[in-house]
Amino acid sequence: MATLSVSVTAVIKDTTVFAEEILPFLPQPVRGMLNRIPPIAIDKLEEIRIREDQPLLLRVGDKHYFINEQGSLLDEPRECYRISNQDIQRTLQLISEGSLYALEEELRNGYLTLRGGHRVGFVGRAVLDKGRVKTLKYISSLNFRLARQVKGCADKILPFLFKPSGGGIYHTLIVSPPQCGKTTLLRDLVRQLSNGVVSLRVAGVNVGLVDERSEIAGCFRGKPQNDVGVRTDVLDGCPKAEGMLMLIRSMSPRVVATDEIGRQEDAVALEEMLHAGITVISTVHGSSLEDLGCRPALRYILENRVFERIVFLGRTMGPGTVEGIIDGGGKKLLDRPLTGTGVKGRQ
Amino acid sequence: MIKFIGAGLVVSGAGFFGVTMARNYARRPWQLRWLQSALQMLETEIAYASSPLPEALDHVARSCHHPIEILFQGAREELKEREGVTVAEAWEAAIKKFQPVSALLSSDIGVLVSFGRGLGRSDREEQLKNLALTREQLRLQEVAAEAERVRSERMWRILGFLVGIAMVFILY
Repeated sequence: MATLSVSVTAVIKDTTVFAEEILPFLPQPVRGMLNRIPPIAIDKLEEIRIREDQPLLLRVGDKHYFINEQGSLLDEPRECYRISNQDIQRTLQLISEGSLYALEEELRNGYLTLRGGHRVGFVGRAVLDKGRVKTLKYISSLNFRLARQVKGCADKILPFLFKPSGGGIYHTLIVSPPQCGKTTLLRDLVRQLSNGVVSLRVAGVNVGLVDERSEIAGCFRGKPQNDVGVRTDVLDGCPKAEGMLMLIRSMSPRVVATDEIGRQEDAVALEEMLHAGITVISTVHGSSLEDLGCRPALRYILENRVFERIVFLGRTMGPGTVEGIIDGGGKKLLDRPLTGTGVKGRQ
Repeated sequence: MIKFIGAGLVVSGAGFFGVTMARNYARRPWQLRWLQSALQMLETEIAYASSPLPEALDHVARSCHHPIEILFQGAREELKEREGVTVAEAWEAAIKKFQPVSALLSSDIGVLVSFGRGLGRSDREEQLKNLALTREQLRLQEVAAEAERVRSERMWRILGFLVGIAMVFILY
């Protein structure tokens, strides 16, 4: 009974979040339809795909659904709702607050972050200036990706990250293929390190977060929309290598966290952090150490054993599965995979 | 004696009516000029501050004269309060509120309506082109309004007094 009531509140919370943070950005016919989809689907809704002249598509968990005007989810695209050019134009106006001109940077990057940390990606025709993308026009596809913060998903790996007898935190690298909860895990790690972990009797430390793509803290006009902890300073939209160095100089963090390292300048910045005695927590795309070794900058980092804990994520037991944890020397610290604590697709 | 006072009242009454009519002709070029400077402010907001439109409209509304502020404030409120409204729709709704209190003619309003259709929906360069075009159109309207004012203002001002004097003569 207890578990049932918990899941019911979770569903209600998701429905209100959905109604307040996503629906206002969708144009009228679409908004009405999505208002009528069952709450249980909203709970697992991950993406809303809007493509000109194509059916409106929802990704719920791992499945794709079409939708008809009554708001029923369909497996087949018959009688489903198709997106018009008008719908796209209205959506653009709504997400930009009628100020497309203020989104130059976002149009160049191809995405923007909404209040609540949700992400809207878009593509269209690129306008070039001296061979580089200047802006996009004739936008034809939009993708709403719903942000879900999963508090507590780092609980299981936290005990592996602290040095014995209060010696601080290990340099940690999270290795994961896309869609396995890498950013979600990093966000929760940042939050817990920043707030302190009562169960492990660890006090919180100052955390600097370089959020180049506004994915971790989900900043909206500079203010974090996700809970990233009380001692966290977020440098939003800043290139990683430069941002890490800026944070050392400006905010004296004990821990610096950043997403998806891998370029040569990142490696240089990492070395700088090590000399400054700052713990680095980062993520990288990949599924094994061999994968990482193929990228020169990462190989350099791995050969120098910069990271003392490497956490591998996968989907063998659902998204967010911790497949393994090794130390800098390659010694395994986990004998079997750990299930993800409700990362993304909750069961 | 009473006759003299009565005659004075008639002449000054008719004269006042004429002056009021003349002032009405002066209001249109003023308002057109204020509109241009409001658009100039909006241009600064868009070009240099990159403020989102509701914020930009608010800034402009705060620093303009009555009744121009009704237009900008109205558009901002429509954008903020009505869910799912586009900029063009919000702007047109604001124009509906603004038109009765303004001295503008329907040709002036037409310029504003077509400006609203492009507002906010393209990149900065396009926005600046739209603003420049609209300001130029308003300037032409202003030149015409000014010519109209010069012609009609003097006529009404003199006509008022003349009619007053004529009435005095007829009544005697």
